[in-house]
Amino acid sequence: MAVGTGILRVPKEAKKGEVVRVQMVITHPMSPARKDPQTGQQIPAHHLTKLDLLFNDKLVSTINMGAGVSANPFMALTLKVEESGVVKIVYEDNKGGKWEKTAEIKVS
Amino acid sequence: MDRRKFLALSAVAFAGLSIAPALRPAFGATKLEEEIQKRLGVQLLQIKESADIKLTAPTIAESGANVPITVESTIPVDKVEKLYIFVDKNPSPWIADVSLSPMNGQVYFSTRIKMGETSNVRAILKLKDGSYVMATKEVKVTAGGCG
Repeated sequence: MAVGTGILRVPKEAKKGEVVRVQMVITHPMSPARKDPQTGQQIPAHHLTKLDLLFNDKLVSTINMGAGVSANPFMALTLKVEESGVVKIVYEDNKGGKWEKTAEIKVS
Repeated sequence: MDRRKFLALSAVAFAGLSIAPALRPAFGATKLEEEIQKRLGVQLLQIKESADIKLTAPTIAESGANVPITVESTIPVDKVEKLYIFVDKNPSPWIADVSLSPMNGQVYFSTRIKMGETSNVRAILKLKDGSYVMATKEVKVTAGGCG
């Protein structure tokens, strides 16, 4: 998969006021800056720096991270839903890549 | 000052000088302390351990490249501003920080982190009143996962 592909998983349906779990997996190498052990060349870092979680375009959480998070990072947060809406994640890396992913929740 | 006294004094002074550099690392701030000072603006020693935070991590990690951790807390989310994750002995101890809002419903964050060697994992919560609380857990790593 290409770098930056994300999977966002939320329950399809929820009750009003329920706290649901929002899970995401993003394809990304998350490599720190380091020297190549064979050639001694400097390899620049390539990792995600920021991920915003939005619900109906309102900011819920921001995750700032470095290369300390594992490759292909998995993350889970909770979200309290009061109304139906769209969960959106917007994430960017230190090489200027920016992606987003959305999922819908139906609240009854 | 007679000769005997002078010799004794200089011996003490010399011993002091030669010991001082060896003691330095113990007095100087470690990487973790520096990082916490930089990002949180408080000293590590000022942060209290709290039983209200539950940090779930394996006691022995299969691989340092992939250590699953989960942070939960009984502290209501509207009293919490931010959540920090640190690993003591990593080349860069700061892993992530998460800003939380009442829309989260509860304090919960789960991810997978890299660990270079056996060390403590710390989850630090910044509360709205400006104080910090933390939970610590040691994770044994047999194969490091940095670099």
